[in-house]
Amino acid sequence: MAIGLTHYLGLAAAVFLVGMVGFVIRRNTIVMLMCVELMLAAANLTFAAFSRELGNEAGHVFVLMNFAVAAAEVAIGLAILVEIYRRRRSVDADELTTLME
Amino acid sequence: METFLFFFGGAVLLSGGIAAVASRSAVNAACWLVFAFLGAAGLFAALHAPFLAVLQVLVYAGAVMVLFLFVIMMLEGPVMQGESRRPRLWLPLLAMAPAVVIAVVASRALRTAAPVGFDTVLPDGFGQPLRVSWLLLQDYVFAFQMIAILLLVAMVGALALGRSERKRPWQ
Repeated sequence: MAIGLTHYLGLAAAVFLVGMVGFVIRRNTIVMLMCVELMLAAANLTFAAFSRELGNEAGHVFVLMNFAVAAAEVAIGLAILVEIYRRRRSVDADELTTLME
Repeated sequence: METFLFFFGGAVLLSGGIAAVASRSAVNAACWLVFAFLGAAGLFAALHAPFLAVLQVLVYAGAVMVLFLFVIMMLEGPVMQGESRRPRLWLPLLAMAPAVVIAVVASRALRTAAPVGFDTVLPDGFGQPLRVSWLLLQDYVFAFQMIAILLLVAMVGALALGRSERKRPWQ
């Protein structure tokens, strides 16, 4: 059985969906950040699959960019979470509703 | 070999992701996510991207997840209080609705064109560090420098956010 672009795109879509559902149903903000990482991994997989399909390594360069962006996002996101925890003693997304009220 | 790597890595990635989303404790979720990222590294290897596979293990499964675990340890215990409540189930159903529509449309479109394997003949050394870094430092050097600035700004921002309140000169 030959594995082609379609299989990789289907798998990436499934992984992205898992990450999206996790982002919506979880209340722990740290786990929500992890779900964002999962969605980014699905996007990276798509880049690499198209790179393989087209025989062009530009997609690999974009995956490297994505790695850097994800690392920056995690560093800032977790720093903000630590700051929120210092003030509110909680990282529950349901309790952080100051901006909503 | 590539078929095996696809199914093995794909199964590891998908099951690790589902387990991470479903596990109640944040520490368990982080460990499952490391597992999932190792599967993603296998998929990169199957796609002739050995450089990306190595970096996926080093950066994601290594650095990023260690950062997550550190922060989980700094904050409250592994199981969050509110997480023991029943999860909101109508929200994921709502979120899945567009996905179902897309899946139906995609399967209709794919029925005409049967999926085929990759038929591109790859150049020698495709995806090796030498070729990728050559591309990175020649054609995409502007993006490379932008990403360097982004990382610098992120580092300064994380340091500024991490300082305790009375030590902040700007407040």
